Amino acid sequence: MSAQKQLLIIDDDPDFVDGIKAILVKANYKVDVAYNPKDGWAALENKNYDLLLLDVMMGRGAEGIMVARKLGKDAKLRNLPVLIITSIREQMAFLFPGEAVHPHFVTVDELVEKPVEPKLLLDKIATLIKTAEAKTGQVADAKKR
Amino acid sequence: MEHAKILIIDDEEVVLDSCKLVLEPAGFKITTASNGTAGLALVPELDPDLIFVDLKMPGISGFDVLEHLHATDPNRVAIVITGYATVSSAVEAMKKGAYDFLPKPFTPDELRLIARRGLERHRLRQEAIALRREKEMLRENFAAIVSHELKSPLSALQQNLFGLTAELEDRMSDEQKARMQRMKGRLDDLLKLIHTWLRVFSVDVNKIKEQFQPVAVGQVIARAIENVLPHATRKNIEIASDVREPLPAVMGDAVSLAEVLGNILGNAVKYSHPQTKVQLTAAADRGAVVIAVSDNGIGIAKEDLPRVFGDFYRGRAGAAMDSGCGMGLAISRRIVEAHDGTISVESEAGKGSKFTIHLPANT
Repeated sequence: MSAQKQLLIIDDDPDFVDGIKAILVKANYKVDVAYNPKDGWAALENKNYDLLLLDVMMGRGAEGIMVARKLGKDAKLRNLPVLIITSIREQMAFLFPGEAVHPHFVTVDELVEKPVEPKLLLDKIATLIKTAEAKTGQVADAKKR
Repeated sequence: MEHAKILIIDDEEVVLDSCKLVLEPAGFKITTASNGTAGLALVPELDPDLIFVDLKMPGISGFDVLEHLHATDPNRVAIVITGYATVSSAVEAMKKGAYDFLPKPFTPDELRLIARRGLERHRLRQEAIALRREKEMLRENFAAIVSHELKSPLSALQQNLFGLTAELEDRMSDEQKARMQRMKGRLDDLLKLIHTWLRVFSVDVNKIKEQFQPVAVGQVIARAIENVLPHATRKNIEIASDVREPLPAVMGDAVSLAEVLGNILGNAVKYSHPQTKVQLTAAADRGAVVIAVSDNGIGIAKEDLPRVFGDFYRGRAGAAMDSGCGMGLAISRRIVEAHDGTISVESEAGKGSKFTIHLPANT
C-alpha cells in the first residue's frame, strides 16, 4: 500500500467510535474523529481525507443525512467516498416514509449496518477508496490530454 | 352515558317535543332540528353522540341525511324514525349506515331503550377507534425506541468486541478467543431478536410487493432446506423433499418466501423427536403452488390451534426446550398473505403437525 490513508469518522456515540477506530488503526489507517456534524464539517473543510465514515442518526434525527446532502452539493467534497454506517435497517418507515434510506446521497457512497464485521468494514473501505482513486486518476488523465 | 348529546331531526313538532320530554329527564342533552338541512348544519358544531332522523321529511329525506352523515364520518351512530315501518325502508336505511330504526308510534320506554342502545354503540365505536390509534402509535414508537435505544448500545458493545479481537489477536489464549467468540455470538442473537421484533412491528410487509418478481419455488425450497439442514442433522432428523417439477413460477419475493419456508421447516425440526422424518411436498394444483410440511413431532394442542399464527405464540414445549421469540409463524403468515396466498395448519397433540401453504401461480 502507498501512503497511509486518512479517514474521518463522524458519529455521536463515542463507544461505537472506539470500537470501529480500533479496527481501522489496526489495519494501518490514520483516523480522525468528530462527535457531531458541525465539528465533522469543519474537519472536512480543513483537511484532505481519503474517506468519510458517517453515522446517520445523530442529534435530533437523521443529521448524518444532512451532512451527506451537503457533501453532494460541494464541488470539492462531492467525490469524497463516504461509507454510511447506520443502526437503522433499510426501509425504516418512520424515518423517510415510503423512501429507502439509501438512494445514494453522494456520488461515491456505500452503506453498512451497525455493528459491522471487521472484514466487511475493511473490504468496503478499501474498495471505495480504490474506486475513488481510479476515478480521479481518469479525470487527471483526461485533463492531461 | 349521562349528558350524552342527542340530535333529533324530524319535521313533526309533536315528535320533537315528545322525544325531548322523554329523554331530557333521563339526563340526555337534546337538540332538535325540523328538517334535514338544518340538522346536518348542526352536526359539526354539536358533535352529537347519537342522531335520530325521520325518514320522510320535506326537503332532503332521511336517507339523504344518512348518506351525508356516513360520508363525512362513518363512525357516527344514527337511528331512523319511520312512520311507515316496512322492512324494506328499514333495510335500506341500514344499508346507508343507520344503526337501528324506531317505528312510529313508539312508547317512551321504547325510545329510552333504543337511545341507550345507540349511545352504547357510540361508546364502543369510540373505544375501538382509540384502541386502534393506540396500537398504531405503539407500533410506530416501538420502531423508534427499539432501533435507537436498544440497538445502539448493543451495536457499540459488539463493535468493541470486534475491535478488541483485532487488537488482542496475538495476545489472547485460545480459550480467551473462544470466550470472545461466544460473547459475540450472544450479542448477535440479541441483535437478531431485535431485528425480528422490528420486522413484525414496524415494517410494512406489504412493502415487499413493490419488488415482486417471478420466483422459482423449487429454488426457494432448496435454499430453505439448506438453511435448516444443520439443525436437522444435529437431531438426526431426515428432511425428505418431494418437489414435483415443473412447478409454475410465483410472483413474489424470493428472500421472504425462503424465510417463510425456513420458519416452517425450522419449527418442524424443532418440534420433532430425534431420528424421525420431516416431509416436504410441493406440487402444482389448480393455478396454485401448494407446499406442505409435515412432521411426526409433538403436535399442537387443539385449543392452541387458532392462536399459532398470532404474535408471540410459542408452543408450550417450545418455550421450555428451545430459543425463539414466538414470531416466526406470525411473520410467515404476513408474508404469505402479502403474496395473496394462504397458510394453514392441521395438527394433533402427540402425533405431529402439517403446515400447508398455497401460493397463486404467476399467470
